[in-house]
Amino acid sequence: MNNLHSVPCDQIMQTLILYIDHELPSDQEYALFQIHFQECEPCKEMMLYESEALAFMKNLLRSTCNEQAPQDLHERIRQQTEALAGQSQVNFFSTSTTITNFTFDGTTSIQVTQEFTHEIRHDFTEGE
Amino acid sequence: MGVALAVMDASNSEVAVVDRALESVAEKKARFERDALQYTNQLYAAALRYTKDQHDAQDLVQDTYAKAFVAFHQFEPGTNLKAWLYRILTTTFINTYRKDQRRPQISDGELEDWQIFDAASHTSDQGRSAEDVALDGIADLDVRAALAAMPDDFRMAVYLADVEGFSYKEIADIVGVPAGTVMSRLHRGRKLLRASLADYAKERGFNRGGSK
Repeated sequence: MNNLHSVPCDQIMQTLILYIDHELPSDQEYALFQIHFQECEPCKEMMLYESEALAFMKNLLRSTCNEQAPQDLHERIRQQTEALAGQSQVNFFSTSTTITNFTFDGTTSIQVTQEFTHEIRHDFTEGE
Repeated sequence: MGVALAVMDASNSEVAVVDRALESVAEKKARFERDALQYTNQLYAAALRYTKDQHDAQDLVQDTYAKAFVAFHQFEPGTNLKAWLYRILTTTFINTYRKDQRRPQISDGELEDWQIFDAASHTSDQGRSAEDVALDGIADLDVRAALAAMPDDFRMAVYLADVEGFSYKEIADIVGVPAGTVMSRLHRGRKLLRASLADYAKERGFNRGGSK
């Protein structure tokens, strides 16, 4: 029976999950599977059965694993982001010497320095 | 002048191409809040599966976002932000939370070749009858318990593939193992889950497929 197909049934069965998971390495291999399924009813039935079983399992998992984060977790993460952004502004200030190198040229540099004074001002009001 | 700059900042953050070298902290924060924080609920659900504990899950997600913000300049805009966050979540869990538990992990002796997709498991009577069980009556609690009972490595692979829809390659990057290992864990995890859910169904009397 196997020998009637260009790809033997046991090879198809061994890699069936890759076909179902859309993880076959090339279009050519999908074509080989599809040709096999056209020729071989038992393998096609197995493929349909396994596909359905997996889809069912995925639906079950997705409808179960959909908990919402508590509101105070959202709030804590927001506050944490604020705090970390505040800290990195301090770091920003300390590295501003490297940035001042840019201020030696052209009109764009003016914008850069203004942006930095803007940031630093925030730092001072928070720090002092 | 400060007002004018603020307006410019706001419009800049909408532009798809981000020059991270010139980005101000305020811009980075705005981009982070807009792009990254939308995944809080998803990461929390994943963290619940990982830690099996509400408080640990909250801490894990908060730690993840702290690390993500600090490293956000390393994230390349336009690439997969969700996968990037999952990688931080997962490695944080593996390195911190799991280490504390000191539970033995089933990772030795994992099969890595194609043999793992054994045709035998598809054709054995036992496997078929278990899978034929109607799972309609399975409750959320049963699914959660079945997931929780699985070894961490299997549970992560199944969760990332079948709930989040990540590819083998993406999961390999997130978990930090070769794609072959992901395939092995995923395959064995799915089999375990199917078998234990079938058991739950049987216990609850939903086994319509006979007594075997």
